[in-house]
Amino acid sequence: MKVRRWKKPAWMGLALAVALAATGCSSGGEGKPAASGSASGGTASADDKQPVTLTMYMPQANPNYENMESPVGKKITEETGVKLQMEFVVGDEKQKVSLMAASGEYPDLIFGHGNENILVDAGAYLDLTDLIEQYGPNLKKLYGPYLKRLRWSKDDPSIYFVGSYGVNEQRWTPETGFELQHAVVQELGYPKMKTLQDFENAIKTYKDKHPTIDGQPTIGLSILADDWRYKISITNPALFASGGPDDGEWYVDPKTQKAVFHYTRPEEKEYFKWLNHMNDIGLLDKESFVQKYDQYAEKVASGRVLALADAKWEYGDSEKALRQDKPERMYGMYPITLNENIKYADFQSAGYSAGWGVGISKTAKDPVRAIKFLDWLASDEAQVLNNWGIEGVNYQIVDGKRVIPPEEMDKRKNDPDYFKKTGIGVYGFPFPQYGVGVKDPTGQTYTPDSVDTIIDNYTDVEKEVLAGYGAKMWKDLYPAESEFPVKPWGKAWQINIPQNSDAAVIAQKCEDIVKKKVPEMILAKPERFEEVWAEFIADLEKAGVHKMEEAFSALLQERIKLWNE
Amino acid sequence: MQRVRKGRTSLRLLKEQKWLFLMSVPFVLWVFLFNYVPVWGWTMAFQNFRPGRAFGDQEWAGLSHFAELFADERFYMVLRNTLGMSLLSLLVGYTVPIAFALLLNEMRGKVFKRSIQTIAYLPHFVSWVIVAGLVTKMLSVEGIVNELLMLLHLTDEPIQFMAKEHWFWGVVTMSDMWKETGWNSIIFLAAIVGIDPELHEAATMDGAGRFRRMWHITLPGIRPTIMVMLILSIGWLTSIGFEKQYLLGNPIVSDYSEVLDLYVLNYGIKVGRYSYGTAIGIFNSVVSIMLLLISNGIFKRMTKESVI
Repeated sequence: MKVRRWKKPAWMGLALAVALAATGCSSGGEGKPAASGSASGGTASADDKQPVTLTMYMPQANPNYENMESPVGKKITEETGVKLQMEFVVGDEKQKVSLMAASGEYPDLIFGHGNENILVDAGAYLDLTDLIEQYGPNLKKLYGPYLKRLRWSKDDPSIYFVGSYGVNEQRWTPETGFELQHAVVQELGYPKMKTLQDFENAIKTYKDKHPTIDGQPTIGLSILADDWRYKISITNPALFASGGPDDGEWYVDPKTQKAVFHYTRPEEKEYFKWLNHMNDIGLLDKESFVQKYDQYAEKVASGRVLALADAKWEYGDSEKALRQDKPERMYGMYPITLNENIKYADFQSAGYSAGWGVGISKTAKDPVRAIKFLDWLASDEAQVLNNWGIEGVNYQIVDGKRVIPPEEMDKRKNDPDYFKKTGIGVYGFPFPQYGVGVKDPTGQTYTPDSVDTIIDNYTDVEKEVLAGYGAKMWKDLYPAESEFPVKPWGKAWQINIPQNSDAAVIAQKCEDIVKKKVPEMILAKPERFEEVWAEFIADLEKAGVHKMEEAFSALLQERIKLWNE
Repeated sequence: MQRVRKGRTSLRLLKEQKWLFLMSVPFVLWVFLFNYVPVWGWTMAFQNFRPGRAFGDQEWAGLSHFAELFADERFYMVLRNTLGMSLLSLLVGYTVPIAFALLLNEMRGKVFKRSIQTIAYLPHFVSWVIVAGLVTKMLSVEGIVNELLMLLHLTDEPIQFMAKEHWFWGVVTMSDMWKETGWNSIIFLAAIVGIDPELHEAATMDGAGRFRRMWHITLPGIRPTIMVMLILSIGWLTSIGFEKQYLLGNPIVSDYSEVLDLYVLNYGIKVGRYSYGTAIGIFNSVVSIMLLLISNGIFKRMTKESVI
């Protein structure tokens, strides 16, 4: 068949073995000593601004990345002498990290993005404990009591990376929920929106009344199963609707602190049964399990999908397309649960959870400069620069307060290239930063976001709908953060199962079973649902789900101890 | 005596052709360096390999990875899918391009023939990502295929092609055919052009019609090409890549869409089991070599010629 292949050597079948071997063999020279540590540090500060290029592994391509050419980027180089050279990944991150680990050659800075365990296992990171102690006053101030949460494990209490995501962040907008078009609730007179039954009724009533939207058939609820996205739009909602906080594939019993693979909970069976019922009565998009992300996004942007069960970041971009002409087809977010006794835990706090972050590799040319750079980024000066921009250009100081002039604010909101052009925000995530709402020594917040800016950003329709529900923000519809205890384990999805362990293989097997069986049980005839569910549980047990739960619980306990001692 | 003389001739040969030998040295080295040296990496399959450690520090595991592989049900499933889809595409990927080449060869207008040929091989240059997008779109509930079927009253309700697991192999094979037919026919067309036109003239004199000539002259004329291509691609049966299956597949059809290469990725590299991945790689190569030798053996017995 493949004519074009015939010229290649007949050994291509070995491609994998060959590639791995070629990289594997060269990793012999292990454990190069960390470059002459304190020699360049601590001395004259003039050295600190010597131009230096730091290479950085960045698995998530940032579309706003500007090669440090923007005013903010240039300012950073001016202050630190550092020029970053990013290495973005195209394709599978885990594969890239694995190959990087096998070769033993790393850039200066590494953002692990969930693959830290591979890198730690391969000894890729430098222990930052002493470096932070010596050169990191700003980092120490930033992480404060959470510094101990940066330690890797009980057996290996090294600090391998400085955590991403804002520290002490205050959340004003929900991340997940069940979404319903504003048009639906407006037409139905803002019905009670608490349970799956309420949600279903609203979709059904509206769809029966309006079988088409703009000439195309109306779609009730569309969910997405493209590759890993099934977790976001199909299985996470089962966890949330049954009152679990976002712990990824896990539900942690708050009393016993034991983790279970969340799909196995009887409450979630109810959720899947409901989806099965939705499919049976024709309210579920027929293509839910076949569509790819772009098809889904296109449907959402066409305004004919009444309801979603998704995370804001996944549907947000498609929704923007509706903002201009059809704001009534945008979505409100509702904390829908199985019954009224369950609290939707979107706002439950995880404390500061440092599963990911930027580390310095053992092959870094000058670790001291690298840690100083990271420390500088955590300083008040850098935080203001990153969030507000350059004084006199992007913001002004009026009466000692930072103020963004209206015309600048307008650009900030509406110019899609604003952040790329100015460099504002580009050096925030995944670098160390203060959370939204945290105040600096002058009593102002590090970020310009505030409750007011969020409300200003709502469309008129959105404000009407919120008023209809007697709320000012979407957050008001959700159970408040204060109603939940802080999770002592942070975010369970950030706990990595060690590579090359039985549990890691079981996790992969379970993932395959979930991917296969969950669609099957939702699409099955309702009378077959119980049967498929039983098969699902039996398959998981056969794959060793309990063994994996035990292994994970052990990791979880260890983390709880490590973080709270 | 004889041995000495033989040695002398080959020595003389070496001397006479020393430049030719010298010229081949870089290529021999290249092949050795890139195709033989890496086979050393196969040792990983017999270890519990962990990156970042010296060879001596690795833990040896004997044949345990192979044992685990052959005990995994999923492995047999992906093997079935791999072989199933490759055999199908071998079948379609031969007959259709050969038929296409034969028919195209009989065309009269040169310009027309050329343009058809060009149009036919253009899809080869379209990436699978785009092809998969097109196919999914066309076969979706609101896609053109369903609209056509509804219009012709062949079906009352749109068919969800992509959600039928037993159809998945067919969908892959058909998309492959659409993409590669034109391209794959190029080599056969080239072979057809090489056939002595006198044979055709003679046959025409004897009163052979078009189909007779196609059957008795053109087809036997390109038989060696067909055989070489066939045997080489049999060696590829187990390594069909995974991009089309990955891009066209979805969770509903996963029991029929997952192939060996994806399995290696998911259960080998992704979970850090390099050794397990290598073990599959070895299995793959051994099977490929065996298939190649067997098919060549059969061919040799049938025709007294050998391709490799």
